[in-house]
Amino acid sequence: MGRVMDDGAFEAVITAHHAEIHRYLVRVTGRRSEADDLSQETFLRAYRAHAGLPADANVRAWLFAIATNLCRNHFRGEKRRRLAHAAAEAAVPADDGGTPEGEMLLVEARARASEVVDGLPLKQRMAFILRKVHELEYGAVGESLGCSAETARAHVFQALKKIRRAFDTLAMATAGAERTEPTR
Amino acid sequence: MSPAPPACREIEADLVATASGEASPAAARRVEGHVSACDRCQRELDRYREVDGIVQSLRRAPLRTSDPTLARAELESKLADLRTRLLAFRRFTSPLGPILIGRTELGVSLVEYLEPGEAVDAARLARLSGGRAVEDTGELESVYGELLEYLDGRRARLDWPLDLRTVRGSFQHRVLEATARLPYGAVASYAGIARDIGAPRAVRAVAQALRHNPLPIAIPCHRVIGSSGALTGYAGDKVGLKQRLLAVEGVRTASGRRHLAIDRRRLYHLFRGEHAYCLPSCGSLLTKPMADVTLFASRDRAEAVGLEPCGECRPDLHPLVPMTGAD
Repeated sequence: MGRVMDDGAFEAVITAHHAEIHRYLVRVTGRRSEADDLSQETFLRAYRAHAGLPADANVRAWLFAIATNLCRNHFRGEKRRRLAHAAAEAAVPADDGGTPEGEMLLVEARARASEVVDGLPLKQRMAFILRKVHELEYGAVGESLGCSAETARAHVFQALKKIRRAFDTLAMATAGAERTEPTR
Repeated sequence: MSPAPPACREIEADLVATASGEASPAAARRVEGHVSACDRCQRELDRYREVDGIVQSLRRAPLRTSDPTLARAELESKLADLRTRLLAFRRFTSPLGPILIGRTELGVSLVEYLEPGEAVDAARLARLSGGRAVEDTGELESVYGELLEYLDGRRARLDWPLDLRTVRGSFQHRVLEATARLPYGAVASYAGIARDIGAPRAVRAVAQALRHNPLPIAIPCHRVIGSSGALTGYAGDKVGLKQRLLAVEGVRTASGRRHLAIDRRRLYHLFRGEHAYCLPSCGSLLTKPMADVTLFASRDRAEAVGLEPCGECRPDLHPLVPMTGAD
């Protein structure tokens, strides 16, 4: 009794995707505790629903969509969202144009980019992370966010523009910084 | 930076796409053509390529607080619990009409009367069990077989393991437990159950709790009746089923002026706290409130639970005349 037809399959889903979904949620919420809760809820929902999933479904994209939805609900009507906007403003770099060219290390550039991403409006932030960090197709990003692939693309575009603007007043690591970064 | 010329603004999206390798070949060619003649946009393209490099490194950068080990362990433990809540259900035909039976790994958790043609709502069952609901693949067969024997009068006990986790609240638990103790072939009143669980004034609440009995038949709420002897209700408006279930156990009901009722004068009495069963005419038993008596359909039923005949009224020597025919 109590046989679960495809629990083995679900176990494999967890093994394959849990860590990545968790990372995604850390990036979106900025908090491990929230990522813990939301990732758990993501997989519990998936567990309840996965039996009805078509055999050829893209499970990874589906999990991202569930996680994204939970995030949106999580932030909805919460002050956190406004705080995120406030953080966005704070994250816009002050004009310290005096920074000498080439001095900004990739690590710093990355930190600055992260700050900008953290400060993006929720949809832009999620679109950006889904596409640029987790490399989902725009169609899947759109499905997660409940918008078209084109709108998803526009969100990512806006996010990139903001990051680019954030670097405007700062000297950036050169294009080759990535390659010359010493390995640690 | 001064505002960009319209042509530059127009190409910007393609430019960003090109920088991150997402542009279509046509868009990439447009950008190539444009930047070859526009220094400003060439610089933009370079800038966006740098941004793309940073973004790519972002992807590879470790997160400080991302260790998912704990979260995964918690998830696994939640799932283990959910698996024990997996509800396997099946719709069966029965002499009482279509009936839905569900069980989890822990035991039978659901018995429901369905309307003819009523579809089973698996989503509702999943919510009810707090887990998932799937069509049974044959494991309920033996449960169903026993149920048929029971409804046929060939079996007096349903010794199913029960899963009562869908029951919310200790009050309903207590009511169901007290009801489950009512022997085959016996009836008691809602007021009697209320008294059993130490809440003598909660008669209506007892009736409500039994109305939401998740396991009718298995938890024999059909053995609980009104203090007047009226069957009152059962599974919504299915009081006829209550009459039939009681008839299987030998408890006859008669159509009174307005409703189905049992007749105390034709049933053996067990007074609260006693260990001997009596004729209804013994002492002043018939004037005692229903809350204080349990009624038995026959001497066999009373003796089957270890009761002895009363030494004064001697039901063993003067048994009640069995009722004949259908009422």
